[in-house]
Amino acid sequence: MTARLVVAIPSKGRLMQHAEALFARAGFAIQRSGADRGYRGTIAGEAGIDVAFLSAAEIAQALADGSADLGITGEDLLRETMADADQRAPVLLRLGFGPADVVVAVPMAWLDVASMADLDDVSETWYARHGRRLRVATKFTGLTRRFFAARGVTGYRIVESLGATEGAPAAGTAEVIVDITTTGSTLKANRLKILDDGVILKSEAVLAVRTGLATHPKVKRLGERLEQVL
Amino acid sequence: MAGKSSLERAGLAALNQRILPGFVAAGYDHIEPDILQPADIFLDRSGEDIRSRTYVFTDPAGHELCLRPDLTVPACRYHLSHAADPTAETRYCYAGKAFRFPPGGGDALHPSEFEQVGIELFGGEDAQISDAEVLHLTLQAMRAAGLETFRVTIGDLGLFHALLASLPMPERWRRRLERQFWRPRAFRNLIEELTGSRPRPRTSISPLIDRLVEEKASDINAFVAHELETEGLEPVAGRCIADIAERLAEKAADRRETPLGKKESRAIDDYLAIRGTPEDAAATLSALAGEVGGDFAQAVEVYRRRNLLLAEAGVATKDLEFSSVFGRSLEYYTGFVFQIEVEADHGSVVPVAGGGRYDSMLSDIGAPQPIPAVGCAIHTERLLAALTEASA
Repeated sequence: MTARLVVAIPSKGRLMQHAEALFARAGFAIQRSGADRGYRGTIAGEAGIDVAFLSAAEIAQALADGSADLGITGEDLLRETMADADQRAPVLLRLGFGPADVVVAVPMAWLDVASMADLDDVSETWYARHGRRLRVATKFTGLTRRFFAARGVTGYRIVESLGATEGAPAAGTAEVIVDITTTGSTLKANRLKILDDGVILKSEAVLAVRTGLATHPKVKRLGERLEQVL
Repeated sequence: MAGKSSLERAGLAALNQRILPGFVAAGYDHIEPDILQPADIFLDRSGEDIRSRTYVFTDPAGHELCLRPDLTVPACRYHLSHAADPTAETRYCYAGKAFRFPPGGGDALHPSEFEQVGIELFGGEDAQISDAEVLHLTLQAMRAAGLETFRVTIGDLGLFHALLASLPMPERWRRRLERQFWRPRAFRNLIEELTGSRPRPRTSISPLIDRLVEEKASDINAFVAHELETEGLEPVAGRCIADIAERLAEKAADRRETPLGKKESRAIDDYLAIRGTPEDAAATLSALAGEVGGDFAQAVEVYRRRNLLLAEAGVATKDLEFSSVFGRSLEYYTGFVFQIEVEADHGSVVPVAGGGRYDSMLSDIGAPQPIPAVGCAIHTERLLAALTEASA
């Protein structure tokens, strides 16, 4: 195999800081280079590896379309982008930073709702009462659909949210949200509660590798050295 | 395969020509419903889940459309937009493409676009006569197509509905059992919970219900209002205090309720185990009706009458197989259901046609009153494959 490996690394935020620190601890010095300085790079002493600096969401997409071979991104984004992430770009290493739970949350005022079964019950009569479906605001449309379907909840519609999802119930644009939370404080501040069985995914930053590449010698070596310094 | 060859196209056209004239001769008006459909109708009726099987997209004006996943809803929309009196008895047939996203990538059995030929009978005054007519015509179409060996499974969702109505239990339990009927495992769990053989799961709201039960609060609305006020919460997101109180009251009532009796749960088990020729099933159903009585006894009479009408129409009912659980996975049907299957050479069973009664569909999509409806759809490409295999 002569093709160069492309490693995608987050280009901004805390995920970038953690990822660069991790590479540094493992003895990989990342050098930004080339005509699109800032977007591409190499690792000192590692011939045949290119580094691509992308947003975490772009990294999940790049792993899906094959423009990156391995990358660091959030597990939430990985699974949102690919329903079959375990087949196409399985997780090689869980990195222990960037924790985020993807959860189903409803208004605290819904004193009678504790579980997905309750939500199902409420959603079933929603259409008859309101003439439309119960609305779920989220940017995780794929994760939401799969999770709700697996629990037999079908009587709802997704309202795609591009930010401030937690405000949707108060604003009246949705009744339920699926969003990420780390401490739960934003949910509390918005008077929302997580359903008992409403944790869709306990996500963190991961190193994912396109399927079939995990045994590639360069990938193996990179993975092993990163694992030693986790 | 990116398209059909002239030979394949002609083969399918010839098959349609063997099927459709029988429908037209029986008084079914040959219509062509739209391929592009407003996604709203499908999403509001079936919920978000349909997106996983349907091609939904946004047009340049921002409206959500879909490629029809079947021709039943499009035929219903055609009817409501064309019929002078939508409640009058009307018959339609159609032949055309349907589009479904095949989970797992698709194969020869589950192509993303496929041909359907079907019939719909709206506003039929006598439900069993209409049921019998539709199954009779479907079987006639199978023979006209040249299919000789096939299996027919029938079911009747009205029986289960009537059984629950006839067994003593709170109405809210019936509602829950009806809902879970489509999900066999959840249904089993629910039965165990209602009979008390499985502990009711404790949840984060159980303490609140404990208090509601202990305090014997008679005004649950006031209890909820007080609770919300104490927590500094306001009812939001489309649910008022009464909505919340109603469900809490049901949960509290469940704690005090006498569990579902052994006799009742056994009646449900006995019913769900019924399988056999329509005649054998009728005997078992009648025996059960003798114990249960009420609506169920009436529903068994309806079932028996339909069998008689099928026989009168020339259907060899001894060749049919009744299954009490058949139709469980087809959420929009409300009564009689049937499916025609062939055995493929590798031993797998392939459904080539199916149908049934769906009395709530037309009012759900805008008819001002309920209009009875029954129909069938034939998967003609599978049928053609079965015919080719049979003659090989």
